[in-house]
Amino acid sequence: MAKRGKLEIVKDILVIIRDSHNSIKQTPLLRKSNLSSNRFKEYYNELLEKKFIKEVIDKKNGKYIVLTDKGFRFLEQYTIIVNFIDEFEL
Amino acid sequence: MREIAGHFFAGGFGTELIYAFVVIVCSLMVYYGTKELYELSSHKGIKYFRQAFLFFAIAYFFRSFIKFIVFYFDVHEIFDFSPRALGPVIIFFFMYFSAMAVFYLLCSVMWKKWGDNSKKIYIFHFLAFIISLVGVLFRRIWLHVGINIFMFFLVVVIVCIAYKDSKKGKKGLNLYAIYLLLLLFWILNVIGVLIPNFLPTFQIMIYMASLGVFLMIVYKVLKKAGPV
Repeated sequence: MAKRGKLEIVKDILVIIRDSHNSIKQTPLLRKSNLSSNRFKEYYNELLEKKFIKEVIDKKNGKYIVLTDKGFRFLEQYTIIVNFIDEFEL
Repeated sequence: MREIAGHFFAGGFGTELIYAFVVIVCSLMVYYGTKELYELSSHKGIKYFRQAFLFFAIAYFFRSFIKFIVFYFDVHEIFDFSPRALGPVIIFFFMYFSAMAVFYLLCSVMWKKWGDNSKKIYIFHFLAFIISLVGVLFRRIWLHVGINIFMFFLVVVIVCIAYKDSKKGKKGLNLYAIYLLLLLFWILNVIGVLIPNFLPTFQIMIYMASLGVFLMIVYKVLKKAGPV
């Protein structure tokens, strides 16, 4: 299996969240993302910082991760971004 | 004011102004057309690619519009300076920004090969500064032509290496050919600014060909990135 690029990893994490009815806890997200704990933390913090995801506190069940509008927009534009990079050899 | 305008348009300045205007609009369309793609991806290649076109826009602004504003609105009378003093300043900034535009374009295709080393860009800024300084201080035709041809071949060699390394094969050839044409016309433009009578007969043809290349890139960008 080819090594995933940074953009692809970001896309995969966001897709996992979206496909979990836009609500997932951190531990299953780490497991499904196929990343080491350290790399996951790096990506997780970056996604929070870029406001692609946000943490929502549920009083009963604890902390959930959901996509923001920007996160959904990234997923919409992902194919365009990848095609653009490919087309211009960037 | 009308007399001055008439003089400019009779002397081919009008053509130059229209040419610069189209290049600036094309460059800004590429810059703003890729804004969202960069904001979402933070991709270094897209960043350098956008900056290349921003610097092209600034370079052409210095090339024609500053000259136009100063003469048309008699700015030199208001601030009491000779228009002749403006020439070297315009040439310096035009050369600096256009050289940086080419270097950024180079970085956009080479950044993966060079690694994530942001210090390289400072070397390019220094090189562009030196080129601009030489352009202003030394008024020898063949020195200017020599420097620009050397830079052209340097870029050709690097782009050829990048093309060979590219696994895309034929798909990338079209794009590299466009980049090389863009560089060639950039050189002819720089020479045209430094030595106004170097290729007077071909000036219009160079303008048209340059615009063709710019429009082709804008078309490709907007087709892939969506309208501005």
